[in-house]
Amino acid sequence: MDRRKFIKEVLLWSAGLSLSVPRFIVPGSIHAAEGAKSTLSFTEGPDYESLVSRALSSLGGMKSFVNPGDTVVVKPNIGWDRTPEQGANTNPIVVRAVVQHVLDAGASKVLVFDRTCNEKRRCYTNSGIEKSLKKLNDKRVELDHIDRRKFVPVDIDRGKSLTRREIYLEALKADCYINVPIAKHHGLSKLTLGLKNSMGVIGGDRGEMHHDLGQKLADLATVVRPKLTIVDATRLLLRNGPQGGDIKDVKIRNALIASTDPVAADAYATTLFDMKPQEIESTVAAYKLGLGEMDIAKINILKS
Amino acid sequence: MKRRRLAPLRRLGQSLFLCLFLFLFIKTDYQGSDNLQYAVNLIFRIDPLVAAATMLAAKTFIILLFPALFTIVFTFLLGRFFCGWVCPMGTIIDMSHKLARPAPNTTDWKHQNLRYYILFFVLTGALFGLPLVGYVDPFSILVRALTLALYPAFNFSSESFFTFTYLNAPPWVNSVTEPLYAFMKNYILASDPRVYTLTLLSLSILLIVLLLETVERRFFCRNLCPLGAMFSLVARFSLLRTIGGENSRCGKCQNCRSTCRMAAIDHNKAVSMEKCIFCLDCIDACPKKQISFGFAFKLAPISMNISRRGFITTAISSAAIPLFLPGRAISKRPNPKLLRPPGALSEQDFLTRCVRCGECMKVCIGNGLHPLFLEAGLEGIFSPKLSPRLGYCEYNCTLCGQVCPTGAIQKLSPEIKKKERIGLATFDKNRCLPYAKAIPCIVCEEHCPIADKAIKFKEVELVNDNGQRLVMKQPYAIDELCIGCGICEYKCPLEGEAAVSISRPDNSRLQKDALSY
Ligand code: SF4
Ligand code: SF4
Ligand code: SF4
Repeated sequence: MDRRKFIKEVLLWSAGLSLSVPRFIVPGSIHAAEGAKSTLSFTEGPDYESLVSRALSSLGGMKSFVNPGDTVVVKPNIGWDRTPEQGANTNPIVVRAVVQHVLDAGASKVLVFDRTCNEKRRCYTNSGIEKSLKKLNDKRVELDHIDRRKFVPVDIDRGKSLTRREIYLEALKADCYINVPIAKHHGLSKLTLGLKNSMGVIGGDRGEMHHDLGQKLADLATVVRPKLTIVDATRLLLRNGPQGGDIKDVKIRNALIASTDPVAADAYATTLFDMKPQEIESTVAAYKLGLGEMDIAKINILKS
Repeated sequence: MKRRRLAPLRRLGQSLFLCLFLFLFIKTDYQGSDNLQYAVNLIFRIDPLVAAATMLAAKTFIILLFPALFTIVFTFLLGRFFCGWVCPMGTIIDMSHKLARPAPNTTDWKHQNLRYYILFFVLTGALFGLPLVGYVDPFSILVRALTLALYPAFNFSSESFFTFTYLNAPPWVNSVTEPLYAFMKNYILASDPRVYTLTLLSLSILLIVLLLETVERRFFCRNLCPLGAMFSLVARFSLLRTIGGENSRCGKCQNCRSTCRMAAIDHNKAVSMEKCIFCLDCIDACPKKQISFGFAFKLAPISMNISRRGFITTAISSAAIPLFLPGRAISKRPNPKLLRPPGALSEQDFLTRCVRCGECMKVCIGNGLHPLFLEAGLEGIFSPKLSPRLGYCEYNCTLCGQVCPTGAIQKLSPEIKKKERIGLATFDKNRCLPYAKAIPCIVCEEHCPIADKAIKFKEVELVNDNGQRLVMKQPYAIDELCIGCGICEYKCPLEGEAAVSISRPDNSRLQKDALSY
């Protein structure tokens, strides 16, 4: 039974105590101002914790995104039952370092989750993320599985191809949403980057998203809007993505991209694969929707 | 002086063993590592009926089932203690007794020898290739009903309740219910809602066992259970014996007889060790404390009343039925959709070894294993198959081979498991979107777990409905790489049938048999 039907039945049993599934409206005003020049930090090095620290400090530190007492969502890619070496999920050290910074900035709660493709517990375990976050030993960190009661229908007013979709409530109502994708190959969209990572917060059958995928991802990006995108490029899965499995397909790149502009982050990450931002449909579609900058020349890039 | 009652002690013991059983049942699941931490299939491994039938079928000694020997030794020492204190089926029957309105205990159904016939039929059947033990073994009946019906229902009702409170209840209620739900999700509930085939059938079989309580107490144990019959055969020599009121100062009250749930006490108040399960009710019921226990060795004759003719007929029929099986169409053209779990023995061996316990279906992390109905013939019912449209086989998982108590599914190392072929994928170009509708879709390829992809694309230039020229990536499967895990069929976004499906186009599982004869 699908979730909507399920909830409907539960509501029927409750004899109309509540009349509808709660709807969530994303107000346009909460988003960062559009139009300002995009800044992006690109850091390289073999120490992943220092990568995260340097990237963040060049953007003004985590304190400029997280206020004390905030509830923060950190959304890595934990989609596959693969190990960190295979480069299909966000690197666990990167995830932990980001969460650590969020904690240090005074967040009251950090939620980490993904809607996985393989069996969810295997993904959380094998990605190394569960173990890595346990090391923080901090009660404010919650690595929970998706709770299917928490998808709410959202109207995507600015969407061209996607106008309504169930989205995970926690991702919508967090004070700060930080997207931590891994950059890797994808058979249809060529690469999966930040925008594609938002697939992990939508409900329903995700298969149908593949029709007009680029536009749909851009449409989704009008409502799921990270304050910060941190692209894990420590390992690049060059072939047989998005799930890989053979470390021969993985290139160690030891790099990290961070930006408040999700389009800029994706555009720059594309260049690491020797490709142009124009080749990625979702980047182009998001740019056209005014969600960010895709012209590398117009992005303020801080290297360290 | 108030007498100390003993039955509560037994009830406590029963409850503890039932809890242990349920604990192991819930732990029959992925536990955060590739290998299971507990012997979750313990109940089947200590089951001498399963052990005997499986070894007769396989005609070898199966080390996995060795613990069953302990149960036999244990029964020799303590009689049918197992039936009265340990057996979860017995406990559930006793619990449901309170709900039924049974006939008085002393009445005796006239066919209490039936269980010996069943036992004998099952064992000779196993020897000749007729797999029946799974339909009469109490644990198979119970675990199947739990896995396929009761546990999913429990999950569904819990989830409904907590969804209701989540959506409607005021915050103070949720401050209680939400932590409770989180706790239950962690320790009791399934990680995701499960569905199964044959849910109501497996439930009905258990319900029938319980409903028979209205005919007489412990009807199943007295008359049908072949495991109990096996225990009886040993228990008549049991060292621990219940000594009844025979040749003593016993009065005429007959309290012990009317209280005995197993009708183990005869007119002279002699207690039959074949029947007594040490429930201790008679001790509580006897006003003169005439019943006691003692250790003694006695060469007790078997009390069953089975004619030689009965035995011969049973043996002949169980040997004859297998002769009819190869004459069926399925032995020439097996159902190509009948996909066995990874590591399953060749078809004939698999069918005879599998005891239909449902452990593999409970543990299957992809919810891919389901009991089949008639696809493998009447005697294949409840044996497992992979149904990729309902669930798939998770690439890195080896759990079913770990829980199978009989070795019908072999325990595979992860490396071998990842190469073990369950079936092969084929595309239906009339349905597959990039072929049939010029709509891009790569869900199957994306999910194919083989590192170099058993699904590949050819790029084809097409003109779509609007006259647009498009380059379409059309998928095809590569037989040499595909292992038939079924995730492509499972994830295919089409409604109804998938455009890619797994089958066994060859007769490979049968041919394996032909060679091994
Ligand atoms: S069928 Fe596959 S997923 Fe299911 S238990 Fe067996 S190995 Fe695991
Ligand atoms: S194959 Fe499954 S049902 Fe059959 S004996 Fe093994 S675990 Fe039990
Ligand atoms: S069944 Fe499908 S997903 Fe599995 S190996 Fe074969 S082609 Fe790949």
